[in-house]
Amino acid sequence: MAKVKVKVATDWLAGCAGCHMSFLDIDDRIVALSELVEFTSSPITDLKHPPKEGVTVGILEGAICNTHNIEVAKQMRERCDILIAVGDCATFGGVPAMRNLVGTDAALKRAYLETESTVDGVIPDSDELGKPLDTVVGVDKVVKVDLFIPGCPPRADAFFYALTELLAGRTPVILPPELFTYD
Amino acid sequence: MTMANIIINGQKISTKAGITVLQAAREAGIDIPTLCDHPALSAVGACRMCIVEIKGQRALQTSCTFPVTDGMEIQTDSKMVVDARKLVLDMIFSERNHFCPYCEMSGSCELQDLGYRYHVDHWVFSTYTKAFPLDATHKYYLMEHNRCVLCGRCIRACDELVANHTLGLGQRGSESMVRADANISLGESSCISCGTCTQVCPTGALFYKRSAFMGKDSLTTKVKSTCNQCGIGCGTEVVTRGGNVLCVLGDWDAPVNKGLLCKMGRFEPLYDSRQRLTAPLLRTKGKFKEINWEEAIQTLAKQINTVKASEIGVLAGSYSSNEALYLIKKLFNEKLKISNIGLTNTVAPRIFDKVQGTLEDIAKSDVIFVVGCDPLNDQPVASFIIKRAVDKGARLIVVDDKKNGLAPFAFMNIDMADINKAIEVAKRANNPFILYGAGITKTAIAQIKKLKEKANYIIVDSGVNTKAAAALGLNNGYDPAGLKILYVLMGEQNYEGDDLFKGIPKNAFIVAQASYLSPLTERADLVLPAAIWSEQNSSLTNIEGRIQNINKAVEPLGEAKPDWEALQLLSAELGKNIAVSIDKVSTEVMKSLK
Repeated sequence: MAKVKVKVATDWLAGCAGCHMSFLDIDDRIVALSELVEFTSSPITDLKHPPKEGVTVGILEGAICNTHNIEVAKQMRERCDILIAVGDCATFGGVPAMRNLVGTDAALKRAYLETESTVDGVIPDSDELGKPLDTVVGVDKVVKVDLFIPGCPPRADAFFYALTELLAGRTPVILPPELFTYD
Repeated sequence: MTMANIIINGQKISTKAGITVLQAAREAGIDIPTLCDHPALSAVGACRMCIVEIKGQRALQTSCTFPVTDGMEIQTDSKMVVDARKLVLDMIFSERNHFCPYCEMSGSCELQDLGYRYHVDHWVFSTYTKAFPLDATHKYYLMEHNRCVLCGRCIRACDELVANHTLGLGQRGSESMVRADANISLGESSCISCGTCTQVCPTGALFYKRSAFMGKDSLTTKVKSTCNQCGIGCGTEVVTRGGNVLCVLGDWDAPVNKGLLCKMGRFEPLYDSRQRLTAPLLRTKGKFKEINWEEAIQTLAKQINTVKASEIGVLAGSYSSNEALYLIKKLFNEKLKISNIGLTNTVAPRIFDKVQGTLEDIAKSDVIFVVGCDPLNDQPVASFIIKRAVDKGARLIVVDDKKNGLAPFAFMNIDMADINKAIEVAKRANNPFILYGAGITKTAIAQIKKLKEKANYIIVDSGVNTKAAAALGLNNGYDPAGLKILYVLMGEQNYEGDDLFKGIPKNAFIVAQASYLSPLTERADLVLPAAIWSEQNSSLTNIEGRIQNINKAVEPLGEAKPDWEALQLLSAELGKNIAVSIDKVSTEVMKSLK
């Protein structure tokens, strides 16, 4: 009987995709990992949402900056057993949280109306878009997070270390000092 | 000395009673994390990182302020202590924007180190939303209030070490802010740009503009050296990366300055905009031509061989190293029998027979005389030491006919002619200390001699390595009349006007060994490029008579050579081989100082 693979889903919020890129930097180890893990959904696979039947590990990159981010985070939380926040944005708010220092309204005005190259600018407000929040926060401020891997981006080895520890059934995962970094 | 037997983490330790728990733990090799603590500053217990559990005490105590007593039992790493430290860290991180990737000091930050140590991997409290001001008005450093943890190190450094009292704390509680003077910008404040606050800041709240974002600590190389900007000879650490000097730090272990530097030593050499000389130049048909060192030294030797010793004059600049001064004496004076040797700056007279004191002794005195010298402007680190003593109650008496920088801090400001009034005060003092310079008048000398029994003293010679030059007897006067060759060892010194050339015959062959382009090098016939402070191994003698090494941090620019290497090449070319090593010269200079 084929071994049942552990299901993993990833998604990104207000981030830059850099954490996902760093994850891919585990290079050929991804082949070995695929023997044990099934990557179900992610922004770089056909399936974009975590499967309804759930996954064991959910990974989120990026900060919570609008209502859409909250929905995505909540859905991932509901559908995974272990939620990992990866990167400085998901753990601390990161670069998107710079907006907090000027306020959301001022940031939107500056970005959409007042840039030097803008003519007749409009602040987008379609119903299909998430509504910006007053404060950008880390993922743990809206859903429970089981493991934080900070870093901008987290080192590829930190991803690999965390997943292999979980696969070996060792919790909580304590990152070794060389993989625990803020920048 | 009363001893105390204490127990830290179950380990029995015998230590001096009255020292702090933190000191006792450190002596026993037990690490307690700190943030506001700094070895050079008083302990204030502001940050609460060093809290420990002490049996019998109601709450956790800050180990940096708590004195040990006999029988004390201390836990430095119990769960209660670690949990409390994490809480403190979480609160510090929540207060302002301590997000590392924004910050220049990431990788060289004590708060970041603590975050790593206690595994701060998310904000437990609210995410930062409040923006604090950034003060970029200062020429040399930035004050980024968003990074400030209110540890007060900068304030204590400004008060306790530099005695300048520019920085202070404004408001209360979460509104607290480090402020300059009456809440004005650093740039317009009473700041004297010594940069000590920046050196003690544990985070990225204060950092140098010039070296910002040029690499974290782990990417840089630090070389211990000696500042050559005045006669104090402060110990420095020159920080370099990829062959470039990023910044200069004060060396906390240095005996003279104990970590302090001033604007002249820390910043000005990095902002020097004078044009460097990078190759030997020979005037050929009125125009400069670049030549190589071999040619330059041969040309010079040929010139020297064609004239009489009495037709050669030598001027040694203030920046000359001990080694260069030694070679000038050995080669020009002893071997070539040239007696027309002078200095570009004046030497203060020797008044007392006894051995002079040290700068450290100033702290022990109750009356400080500053006579005919201006340490505040010329030897700033000495003025910090004086101002510190004044803060502690010493009386400062400034005797100077000119406007003196220390006058605002003085108990008595008098002219040289009235020095007898000051002598009367000093007679009633227990430990008078005299700092005098070349500006002292004959009347003042006569008066000050009255204090010879009681007073300790230091001769504050102008310039940099003047003490060594005088000790080697190079200040016996120089006369430009009738010169056929003038050799000027200018080094980094600023050319200070035409007076240098007064009386020099028009057809004299002028050799300038200098680091920078100046009216002197413009007029010279042969220019030898000299390495600067960061580019050479040599030694200097400070005003206390201390011989200290300058260590090379980067390679000399272009073809520039240390002053003494050029002189050594010349001595070899003239067939007068003179062996030079820093150790040997230091011993020779030491002998002549006595």
